[in-house]
Amino acid sequence: MAELTPDAVVSKVKRGEKLDRADLSGILLANAVLEGASFRRCDMVGANLEGARLRNANLKSANLCEAFLSGADLRDANLDNADLEGANLQRALLTGANLSRANLEGANLQGANLAGARLTHAQLDLANLGGADCTGAVLTHADLGECYLGGVKMMKSELTNANLSDSNLEDADFTGAVLADAQLRSVKARGAKLVGAILTKVDLTKANLSGADLTNADLRNSTLTDARLEGANLTGAKVFGLIAKGLQITGIKADWLDNSPNADGSVRVVATQIAAVLTGQAPARLPDDRSANRRYFGRGDVLRNASLQFDEGATVEIESLFEQCTIALGRGTELIVGSDGVLSGCQITGAGNITINGKFFEKPEGKKSSGAAIVGAHQLVVTASGALVGAVQQPPELTRFAFEPGCQLRMRISTSDSERNSLETRNGGSRNGDNKSAKR
Amino acid sequence: MNDLKNPGATEKRTLVEEGTTFKGSLSSTCPILVKGTINGDLEAPSLTVAATGSVSGKVKAGELKSEGELSGEFDVDKIVLSGSVKDNTVIRAKALEVKLAVTGSKMQVVFGEVQLEIGDQPTREKAEPVKTDGNGKSVPPPPAET
Repeated sequence: MAELTPDAVVSKVKRGEKLDRADLSGILLANAVLEGASFRRCDMVGANLEGARLRNANLKSANLCEAFLSGADLRDANLDNADLEGANLQRALLTGANLSRANLEGANLQGANLAGARLTHAQLDLANLGGADCTGAVLTHADLGECYLGGVKMMKSELTNANLSDSNLEDADFTGAVLADAQLRSVKARGAKLVGAILTKVDLTKANLSGADLTNADLRNSTLTDARLEGANLTGAKVFGLIAKGLQITGIKADWLDNSPNADGSVRVVATQIAAVLTGQAPARLPDDRSANRRYFGRGDVLRNASLQFDEGATVEIESLFEQCTIALGRGTELIVGSDGVLSGCQITGAGNITINGKFFEKPEGKKSSGAAIVGAHQLVVTASGALVGAVQQPPELTRFAFEPGCQLRMRISTSDSERNSLETRNGGSRNGDNKSAKR
Repeated sequence: MNDLKNPGATEKRTLVEEGTTFKGSLSSTCPILVKGTINGDLEAPSLTVAATGSVSGKVKAGELKSEGELSGEFDVDKIVLSGSVKDNTVIRAKALEVKLAVTGSKMQVVFGEVQLEIGDQPTREKAEPVKTDGNGKSVPPPPAET
């Protein structure tokens, strides 16, 4: 039983008197105005504080086990080391609150607003944070094991070394969150948004990330053994040092991955190699391997009327102006036209992988020699900043194309069949007398 | 293309079901979903062509998403492509998105003989260094190509 009546508590608070260490267990203070009150080390087990106004209140080390705090205003309150085990905090306002080392085991925080709250070393295992707003919250070293985090908003939150194992993160938004060294074993994170999240050295063993958005996420040195990534988006994800034995990747979406140790984009994994790299069937290429075969043409350089040939396995990056050049690419050679690169009146031949971030223009009408501007490419990607004006002739096995929204194209794509047919027509008909245009 | 896999979506739309072939002009103020075949002219705020669908003819649409087969002339604002684009096809759009298939040697889009006019006419003016003639006077860049 409480040693004070609710009226006495409200009166004391009004007079600015402290209520530290008071026994207020089971007290009924629903909707009471208690802003700035001091309840340090109070026993408030099972207290009814529904809708209470506790902004800036000091509840440090208070015992609030099984307390009813639904809809309470606890903005900027100090709940450091408070015991809130089994408390009901549904829709409570906890923005800017200090919940460091607080015990929230099994607490109901559904729909609560914890934006910017401090929860370092907090105990949140078995808690329900469904739909809660934890944007920018600090949860380093917090224990969120077996938590319900469905639909939680954790954008830009700090969860370094946190434990989220066996939690449900379905449709949660962790965009830009920091989860370095966190434990996420067996999490159910279907459809979770982890865009740009830092997941370095994270244990994601047996995690279900089907349909999750991991665009630009940093997964370096994390463990994804027996994890599921079906239908997940990994474009731009940093995957150096990933341990992914038994990883299921059917239907994953990714235009490219970053396999550089420093996540600086210096080692790109192209779409065709992604499956092999993620499943460990292809060794990660180190920057040293790459630099040995790397050619770079820097900004401000101008190359005219040159014939260049790059062998298989080379990576060629052009930030310069190339005019009337012919470039022959070996099978699998990477040619990247940087955002400042311009290829004007050039021709590229061979089964290379071409990425255009800059500009490519074929020769103007009248100056054209025979043949398309790009012939036989294995892969042609034009990114959002890229522009391509010219004819592209595909090899018999066809070119793999990718275009990002924002790219500018004036392109004529042809197949080797149609090219051959037009040549035969120009030469007076086909050898077999069959003049039908080849249809695929 | 979630909407292709969500036939239970509640919004109103014109559906050309699998096994149906439509010949002629079709104009609609609501989105069109094609699982069958359309041969002819088509105008709609948005057009979705499922993997089983094919559209051949002149098409004007705000948004076009295709996993099926396209041929003809397409004037759209935004186009998201997979599937195949047949010979003698012209696509004009403000924005085009084609993703690379990740697994195996599968093609995201198979292009036949196709003309693409996407976004603004590219120009080289910004990126090129200023050229000079023999007298040191600057020479304007060549006109943009079409």
